[in-house]
Amino acid sequence: MMPGADARLVAKIAGLLRQPVFFRDVLVATRDQPYRAILCAWSEIRTRHALARDEFGRYWLEEQ
Amino acid sequence: MADGGANEDFRTMLARMERDGHLRRIKRTIRPEHITALCGKAPAALMCEAVEGYEIPVVGGLYWTRPRTASALGWRESELGARFATSVSRPIAPETVNSGVCQDIVITGNDVDLTSLPIPFMHEKDGGPYISAGVAFANDPQLGPNAGCYRLMFRTQREMGIDLFTASDLRRYYQAAFDKNEALPVAVAIGVHVFEHMAAAYKAPAGMNEMHIAGGLRGEPLRMVRGKTVDVMVPANAEIVLEGELLPNGWTADEGPFGEFAGMQGDLKYNPLFRVTAITHRKNPIFYALQMPWENDWLNGPATEAACARVLGLAGIQVTAVRATEGGCCGWSVVAAIKKRAGEGKNAIAALLSLPVVKQVIVTDDDINIYNSDEVEWAVTFRCQADKDIVILSGMKGKHVDPSVRPWELKPGELPTTSKFGIDATIPEGIPAFRYERIVPAFRDDIRAEDYL
Repeated sequence: MMPGADARLVAKIAGLLRQPVFFRDVLVATRDQPYRAILCAWSEIRTRHALARDEFGRYWLEEQ
Repeated sequence: MADGGANEDFRTMLARMERDGHLRRIKRTIRPEHITALCGKAPAALMCEAVEGYEIPVVGGLYWTRPRTASALGWRESELGARFATSVSRPIAPETVNSGVCQDIVITGNDVDLTSLPIPFMHEKDGGPYISAGVAFANDPQLGPNAGCYRLMFRTQREMGIDLFTASDLRRYYQAAFDKNEALPVAVAIGVHVFEHMAAAYKAPAGMNEMHIAGGLRGEPLRMVRGKTVDVMVPANAEIVLEGELLPNGWTADEGPFGEFAGMQGDLKYNPLFRVTAITHRKNPIFYALQMPWENDWLNGPATEAACARVLGLAGIQVTAVRATEGGCCGWSVVAAIKKRAGEGKNAIAALLSLPVVKQVIVTDDDINIYNSDEVEWAVTFRCQADKDIVILSGMKGKHVDPSVRPWELKPGELPTTSKFGIDATIPEGIPAFRYERIVPAFRDDIRAEDYL
């Protein structure tokens, strides 16, 4: 079975996404976490939410 | 150097590159997002054996230079174009086998998890981690099997974005399925031999199975096995295979940016989604992360050189060497050496610039070693008069990826045009060859450096 996402990490990344950020910014802000855990959290966010993008490729949470 | 013809797999290729000094093993633990930076600073391709959080090693930088590409192929550097041309002219159909090592381990259903693979984040402005070395396989009822190189961006544990923005056979297959609101079964192989990768990168005519070309490069049939969850054939000795389907969502899912083949950070695009239904792999698989741009470009270099030799031959020009340069992304800039007759310097320029992607050319006489940039510069300096020997052609077919054509000013669907130029660095007509007599050290053949140094 797939490993579940760490709820605290999901919340942290969701918090970052209140403003436009590059994916790199997500990695920098969570660099104390295992890479795979970051990807699992990212997967969780992308599954639950529509992420907006700007022309530079930055992400943010649509509803905010 | 081994011949590289028979029954080679990805691992055998890596072993040769290691023997040739073109691949180094890195034992120190590294995070996936640091691999691209390390590969870019390394003097050889790297096998990162300890990737933090993963038991799968990552290899990258395999075709970063001409010598590495030649080593991977098991060919001499000077024969890349000629040997590619010969191989393409002798395609060999694949052979279907009942089992393959690529299916030693089969993961399906709820166990499918893309985060189990060390998919690296590669460039500062990328939209996410990318599979850059994927060779996608698909079928079409009319046109048959097809293979091509496509990038895939990680989105979720079972879905990736796939770049089908530009015209390609897979885009054509997908469009047909999309028009019927159907998903298109696809398999993506990661870690295939350079023969299969180069064949997939080759722009074969629609309806031609690129794996026949892979057979031509190998000199024997490629062994292929049917997918476990999709009716698609894949190379039996691939390291990893993702099976799944391109969803009929059309060009709606954000994908990119990604560091493009021309060496520039690309744009955000909207593309289809690839939903993964199975991950199959060898025991102890190796993940291949192709490093942009040169590694991608060198997959096309031999095909470019072959095309250049072909058009020069059609123009009746005796070509002795062709080099697709790395700075020109192994396609946009070429240098050719010819046995010149009067006027053929310019004829060669005209022929080479007729190729769609070639944008600048230098033509030299056959006494110039075109693999030595200093010799080419010497020929340009002393055999060229700028007002007579530089040919500029305007209004030719261009490419959107080239910012100098200002593609953002085009209307939707409008194609860019470009100017191209060629430098005739052959000895001008009317100047006797003795005027270019080269310096020869006295008694050169009597002195052996190793006796003194």
